[in-house]
Amino acid sequence: MVNLCSLTAEQVVEGVKNNHFSAVEYISQILERIEKIESQINAFTIVDANGALKKALSIDKKIRDGEDEKKIGSLAGVAVGIKDNICTKGLKTTCASKILEDYVSPYDATVVKKLKESGAIIVGKLNLDEFAMGSTTEFSRYGATHNPWNINYVAGGSSGGSAASVAALECTVSIGSDTGGSVRCPASFCSVVGLKPTYGRVSRFGLISYANSLEQIGPMGKTVADTVMVMNSIAGMDDNDQTTLNNGAPKYTTQSKRNIRIGLVKELVEGIEPEVSKCIYSAMDVFSKSDCKCEETSMKSVEFALASYYTIAMAEASSNLARYDNIRYGFESNPDSYEWNAYFAKIRSNFGEEVKRRIITGTYVLSSEYYGKYYLKAQKVRTMLKQELSALYKIYDILIAPTMPVLPFKFGEKIDDPLKMYMIDIDTVVANLTGIPAISVPAGFSKGLPIGLQIMADELQEQTLFETASLFESTANVQRSPKL
Amino acid sequence: MISNDEIKHLGWLSRLELTDEEIVRYALQIEEVIKYLNKLDSISLSEVEPVRLKKKISELRKDDVKPFEGDVLEVAKNRKNGYVKGPRMV
Amino acid sequence: MIDGIKIGLEIHCQLTSLQTKLFCSCHCDYHGKLPNTNVCPVCSGLPGTLPLLNQKALEYAGLISLALDCKIPNETTFYRKNYFYLDLPKNFQLTQYNVYGITSIGIDGKLEYDGIDEEKHARIRRVQLEEDPGRLVYENNDMDSSFYTLIDYNRAGVPLVEVVTEPDFTTPKDVRIFLNKFTSIVEHLEICDTKLEGSVRCDANISIGEGKRIEIKNVGSFREVEKALSYEITRQKTMSTHEIEIKAETRHWDDTRKITKQSRVKEEEQDYRYFQEPDIPTVILGNEFLSSLKTKMPELPNDRKNRFISDYKLSEHVSQVLIDNKWLADFFESAVKIYSSPKEIANWIVSDLMGFIDENNHHHNSQASMEEKRSELKVEARHIAELARLVDQSNISRNTAKMILNQIITTGEMPSQVVERTNSSKIDDKGLLSEAIESVFRSEKSAVSDARLNSKAANFLLGKLMQLTKGRADPKIALDLIKKKLIEPD
Repeated sequence: MVNLCSLTAEQVVEGVKNNHFSAVEYISQILERIEKIESQINAFTIVDANGALKKALSIDKKIRDGEDEKKIGSLAGVAVGIKDNICTKGLKTTCASKILEDYVSPYDATVVKKLKESGAIIVGKLNLDEFAMGSTTEFSRYGATHNPWNINYVAGGSSGGSAASVAALECTVSIGSDTGGSVRCPASFCSVVGLKPTYGRVSRFGLISYANSLEQIGPMGKTVADTVMVMNSIAGMDDNDQTTLNNGAPKYTTQSKRNIRIGLVKELVEGIEPEVSKCIYSAMDVFSKSDCKCEETSMKSVEFALASYYTIAMAEASSNLARYDNIRYGFESNPDSYEWNAYFAKIRSNFGEEVKRRIITGTYVLSSEYYGKYYLKAQKVRTMLKQELSALYKIYDILIAPTMPVLPFKFGEKIDDPLKMYMIDIDTVVANLTGIPAISVPAGFSKGLPIGLQIMADELQEQTLFETASLFESTANVQRSPKL
Repeated sequence: MISNDEIKHLGWLSRLELTDEEIVRYALQIEEVIKYLNKLDSISLSEVEPVRLKKKISELRKDDVKPFEGDVLEVAKNRKNGYVKGPRMV
Repeated sequence: MIDGIKIGLEIHCQLTSLQTKLFCSCHCDYHGKLPNTNVCPVCSGLPGTLPLLNQKALEYAGLISLALDCKIPNETTFYRKNYFYLDLPKNFQLTQYNVYGITSIGIDGKLEYDGIDEEKHARIRRVQLEEDPGRLVYENNDMDSSFYTLIDYNRAGVPLVEVVTEPDFTTPKDVRIFLNKFTSIVEHLEICDTKLEGSVRCDANISIGEGKRIEIKNVGSFREVEKALSYEITRQKTMSTHEIEIKAETRHWDDTRKITKQSRVKEEEQDYRYFQEPDIPTVILGNEFLSSLKTKMPELPNDRKNRFISDYKLSEHVSQVLIDNKWLADFFESAVKIYSSPKEIANWIVSDLMGFIDENNHHHNSQASMEEKRSELKVEARHIAELARLVDQSNISRNTAKMILNQIITTGEMPSQVVERTNSSKIDDKGLLSEAIESVFRSEKSAVSDARLNSKAANFLLGKLMQLTKGRADPKIALDLIKKKLIEPD
């Protein structure tokens, strides 16, 4: 009997629609799988077995009743996990924080609504660094997520649960959010595909804000094709998000393309771990062998990218998180007799330490005496980066770089040194600062630990991105899921 | 550079009650981070405009009522006669 | 007059004519609704929600800016004003800010007004859009004895236009005049119903001579602003006399005791850590916006007043009285549409109707607005129009008309109905008059003799005739007949 958990989304939809197996059968296997290995992985914050089975039954019924294609949906039956900072009606959204311990949103995020409409089955919410602030999922209140390739190693973050669950076959596809690399980083560490779309391509309505001018919701899957399938379901203009782009999203495809002009940004390879470097240069070879022009290039303003990123991210976070005062939502606590300032301060002391650090630093950089020095300057750096990219994209269709400058590391290695932890985002933040789309695809292994290749296209050029990624995927042929 | 008092003050501004231990630890850690952010000083960019997302007025929301179905504040744990109960002002 | 008084105003005006709130599609009108029933995830600050800017709000704010002669920028956007407070669902307020090249919807304007002594103008520093916070309520209305605070978010997110003036006012009376004019403008623009509770608020700041600036907040209505300022001036004068230093502070107006008192809640110098709201795009206004505003701009009070003077030939004073309250000017023009006698109608309104409204006032809550008082009286534009017509066509005398007005105010009958009912039309039939005159002559024999010798005494006989005919006799014709009869042989 085929292990239905290892199917791609394409295969699941095909199988369910053509009655090779029922959605219930498939979801049952998924749920079984989760039960079997979750204790090792810790990818989920909540598993909604009942909800999943109920939805599976309804999908099966729709197919039996011969309903219209559109009503059944393009992702019919596919098990999807949702990062636990994206609002799901009726199912808790905790952001892995005590502050939202019991929070149940009265509305669905737009992407959740779209996934439901496309027939996808939500199996649960996925673990993350608290409020999406972190790169290893070690800052989750529910414990860290373990890397399915070696459970003593981190899965990456902040969407650690989203990547690990896909790699460990606990769900077929997943949704994460990417503010400074939070989809691509865990994708790289777990050897799956993860996309950060062009800013404004996917609605942020229902994504609990960490840094609103930087983040996007992004799909993850075992293959580029699966990632594209989910992207086609969730992309598009949304009246509930005025930062979404007005032109409708096209339907993306994954034919492989050749003759792509590719530039490797050398500043993003400088000083990285040698095993990673080796893998990236091999990737260059793969492209060159596939009739693509691939060479090293330079992007000098990258030097300021990380400082710009953390300034803006922390500033916006300090303001976005101000609303968490336990008055309208939160956890059980009686405000009677407290003076309001003291109450707020006491409640908010329940944030984890990384969140607190970022709020404090963000408050610092936004104060009027420092606004020009940090925040305003950081915003100008973004313009500078965009200008440099604009010039590069006249010469190249695609820019590549490593997703991460390091191999996955053991738990606790960087957790006591915030700056050391921030430095591993150095390759991913450029895409967030400039709004361009970027995808991480599995590129190889070293010591059994995954390495990801990051592919970046110009604004709104997701199609070129997918074609390049497909080409690489089919040529490089890297293993996606470990044996567990 | 970043003193313990400053951390305490920033904690107050952002309504975060911090233990003494936290204040000391964060002061050191945040100082390192700020030092790194000071990299931004080494570039002028006076001629550069910050990034701005722009839209036309016609692309904004129309003035049509769409009331929310359901009790939005059902999640609020402390209610009284429909009001949300909060701590006292003084 | 005290020297060196500088008063500036910060006016908040709800855009009550909008259907929805500033950043979400909830009803803009929250009055009379049960607590927390006029909310949605956006305006109650639920996690994951994003502000959705209302395009019509920009238009309305643009109209005020234009009416106040402000410069309207090519682009505008919103900023976060970060501070914690129980009535703020997000613990920041979305507002506008003038910094780094981007401005609010209007800057550097001015409004001229007829000050108490001379024509003045007040410079408008800026006009900006922002959201109203929720409302805090205390058990027994006592903030001090409550162990908790009750919060209602129905009002959160309602669009406000804030108008800030330079400290150009030198006396509270001028402030009152200015605010009246401002009210009239806002009413003519039809963007705010100033009679709705809480729709307009005004904070003031005042400094005297070398003294520091005092902010006065919590003034509930425009009417109270003058009182608050007068009180504050007296208070500060007293302090100066006793050589007590006047420190910069915020004071609250106590509506019941009619005094300003030191603010309970300590308001520190706040650093609001302003930054541009990332979820709202910078809005490109451009020339299109400006021209569309100019097209949409209705007739402003000044222009209307000038039109009344030139087209209807009304006096400056009468015109001013009419446009001071938009509904009064509307009432006037409705009446004129029915019967075109502008001067007559204006006269009836300004001299007589207003008098009745004020009188009626004594029986009712004096806080009620003039229109409320007027609506308690049953008179409409058509009543005044008909009254004017009847007087013009000499069907009734002016005195009679006044009596009729007195009646119809409570009954709501049309004047012609009253006339018919009481048979009040003028008697101008010579035959009837002669009969009545005969009757007077018979009963006033000595007066008749006097009148034969002294023609001036004929007026006495006329008076008696008027008495007899209950004022209905046409005095001209009657006097003529009397004089004729006097020279008749006995």
